[in-house]
Amino acid sequence: MGEQGRYLPECPEMSEVVRKLTEEYGGHVIFSRESEVYIEVPRHELKDVAKYLYSSGAFLKTCAAVDERPLNRSFALYHIFGMDSKGYDVIVKVSAPEDDAWVPSTVDVVPAADWCELEARDMVGIELKGRRLVRRLVLPEDWPEDIHPLRKEVPHDFRPPSVKAESEFRPPERGIPIGPYHPVLHEPEYFELLVEGETVVDVYYRGFHVHRGIEKLGESPRFTYQKIPFLAERICGICGFVHSTCAIMAMEKAAGIRPPERAEFIRTIVLELERIHSHLLWVGVAAHVLGYDAGFMHTWRVREPVMILSELITGSRKTYGLNLVGGVRRDIDKDKMEKIMKTLDRVEKEFKELANLLVSVPQIRRRAQGTGVLTRSEARALSVVGPVARASGLYRDVRKDYPYLAYKEASFKVPLYTEGDNLARVLVRVEEVFESISIIKQLLDKLPGGPIMHEKCSAIIPVDELIPPGKYAVAAIEAPRGEDVHFLMTGEGRPYRWRVRAPTYQNIPALRPMLRGDPLADAPLTIASIDPCFSCTDRALVIDVRTGRARTIKLWDGGVGTCRL
Amino acid sequence: MSIMKLLSIAAKAKVVTRRYPFEPPVVTEGFRGKIEVDPKLCWGCGVCTRICPPNALTLKKREDGTLVLSYFMGRCIFCGMCAEVCPRGAITVTKEFELASLTAEDLVRDVKHDVVRCRICGRVIGPTVEIREATKSVGGAEAKYYDLCPECRKLVVARGIMTKVGVRP
Ligand code: SF4
Ligand code: SF4
Repeated sequence: MGEQGRYLPECPEMSEVVRKLTEEYGGHVIFSRESEVYIEVPRHELKDVAKYLYSSGAFLKTCAAVDERPLNRSFALYHIFGMDSKGYDVIVKVSAPEDDAWVPSTVDVVPAADWCELEARDMVGIELKGRRLVRRLVLPEDWPEDIHPLRKEVPHDFRPPSVKAESEFRPPERGIPIGPYHPVLHEPEYFELLVEGETVVDVYYRGFHVHRGIEKLGESPRFTYQKIPFLAERICGICGFVHSTCAIMAMEKAAGIRPPERAEFIRTIVLELERIHSHLLWVGVAAHVLGYDAGFMHTWRVREPVMILSELITGSRKTYGLNLVGGVRRDIDKDKMEKIMKTLDRVEKEFKELANLLVSVPQIRRRAQGTGVLTRSEARALSVVGPVARASGLYRDVRKDYPYLAYKEASFKVPLYTEGDNLARVLVRVEEVFESISIIKQLLDKLPGGPIMHEKCSAIIPVDELIPPGKYAVAAIEAPRGEDVHFLMTGEGRPYRWRVRAPTYQNIPALRPMLRGDPLADAPLTIASIDPCFSCTDRALVIDVRTGRARTIKLWDGGVGTCRL
Repeated sequence: MSIMKLLSIAAKAKVVTRRYPFEPPVVTEGFRGKIEVDPKLCWGCGVCTRICPPNALTLKKREDGTLVLSYFMGRCIFCGMCAEVCPRGAITVTKEFELASLTAEDLVRDVKHDVVRCRICGRVIGPTVEIREATKSVGGAEAKYYDLCPECRKLVVARGIMTKVGVRP
């Protein structure tokens, strides 16, 4: 690694963490850059390190398993800890030799590590020591035991024959299924709610039905750095620009280039436009879930001009295709600026009127207030993100915590509520729409001149040479649903490993504490309240059985995943 | 109460649904639809196929040696990258998006390229248009060897020189 052993001493907190990890836990710095430090620690120290970091204010962004056998005959697991309040990431690496492939589980001390550990086991085949409940998360039941798709010897287009597995899934007697298609969100998911009378006592989730192997594809010879933004954009049909920008930010970090200022402004403007359309879409869907279809239709009517505007600026209503490594492909001229201003004024005025009406409808208030409560400590333990976190009093916003692109240039509020209920999540999103409108207006006012593409980059120049192999990068963006994280390890001409952690991945486990104890009738609204994006997450699950009861209902053989709180 | 407010909002908004397909849809000037390849300009160089993210453009070599640049709209993501990189400006991004069809073949557009073969050994040298254009820009003595492959050209040139200096090849 290039900057071996170096770290930036100017950030005192960071130096303190580095000192502690290297001196007390036997770690060594493998790579660092401004706001990121990568430290390898011996695997037996992982749990203590995780405990130390988590208790000193870090959130777990995710963990990423990498098959590094071709490089050093071992498997590696990278835990990405985000020091939100300080604005830097500590990436803790542990290695496991290929013939002894295990790492200690950290779920006991970092509940948020539940899913990503199971994913590491499924996809790379790293065993987790000390975990009470181990099960499959991503791979389907009929997938052969010994094939781990993200191992390097498995070709990207490999389709193993289905093995006859006795179904891992056993519906409990009292379960009420919601799925396999969500009745309102029209995406594949499977929830099983355990009820006593009308009260939900437990929740199970099984997802990942639409896992498309995008990470593997990105590593395959079929793709190059130049094409990956277009692939990344297809991870999500709502916040695709977030993913394309996030993947690009990771690549640009690895290449050591910064796009021109004007390009950064344009990306920020489009990201905020995407948040507006996404939140409006969600407010409409929430109204629909509550049976208030007039509210749904009017919200979507108000949203439509934003879609048309996106098409005008980028070329497409969705999957904009605007981003390239080094900048953006289309400029915003005077005429377009005027159209953006005009549309935003209109949306602001119309949505204000509509939102005031929606939140004052007594039926809506009754259904949303006090239901689906997620407490602050639950939210903290699970490292939940986005509006879900901010409705539970957790101040987390990547735009403020790790200012990227042009967010420093705009002043904006981060709406914060402490109730943690469905109403709070509605209100956070409604307010965010107005903040986003204000951000775009401020940025348009300040839009700097100059080029929109870095001089070393263009559609014609292959960027592959700019991105040397053996580099690491972590990029994060505040998507409409919360923090989106991309972890990149560069290879020859394409990623060696590209890990995408969408916001919903982090928020679904929070549904269990939200749903338990609530009336069944509120469940659809609560599920919708996290604004779940299943396709994103599946690039999903079961939430565990409550074992405290006299009668334990097992949904999965061998137990289910845990999110112990 | 809230019903009255909603009625007033609805009255202000009026009907917004367009009677598409009886009325044209809203398509902005920024919109990117399917692409068109101009067969007269295209060289068959394949640069566009290398940038195309979903492999909607492919360059196929037929058995008879001819080249086919094939565009399959079913895969196209309408990104317009091909048009940006084409050295000949042969690709235009149109605003057309009503592409539904009952057969997949309707979604394929092929641009066929004849090829020039070496007049001595018969090997394929390259697409006719490309060779012709390249020859035009080079001109002069080189132009008369346009239908020779590099190896045969070397031989012919060498033979010419030897004859000139009087050595029998
Ligand atoms: S369309 Fe352009 S880039 Fe593609 S083969 Fe023809 S000349 Fe080459
Ligand atoms: S528009 Fe994009 S996807 Fe379609 S052919 Fe061109 S490069 Fe390929």
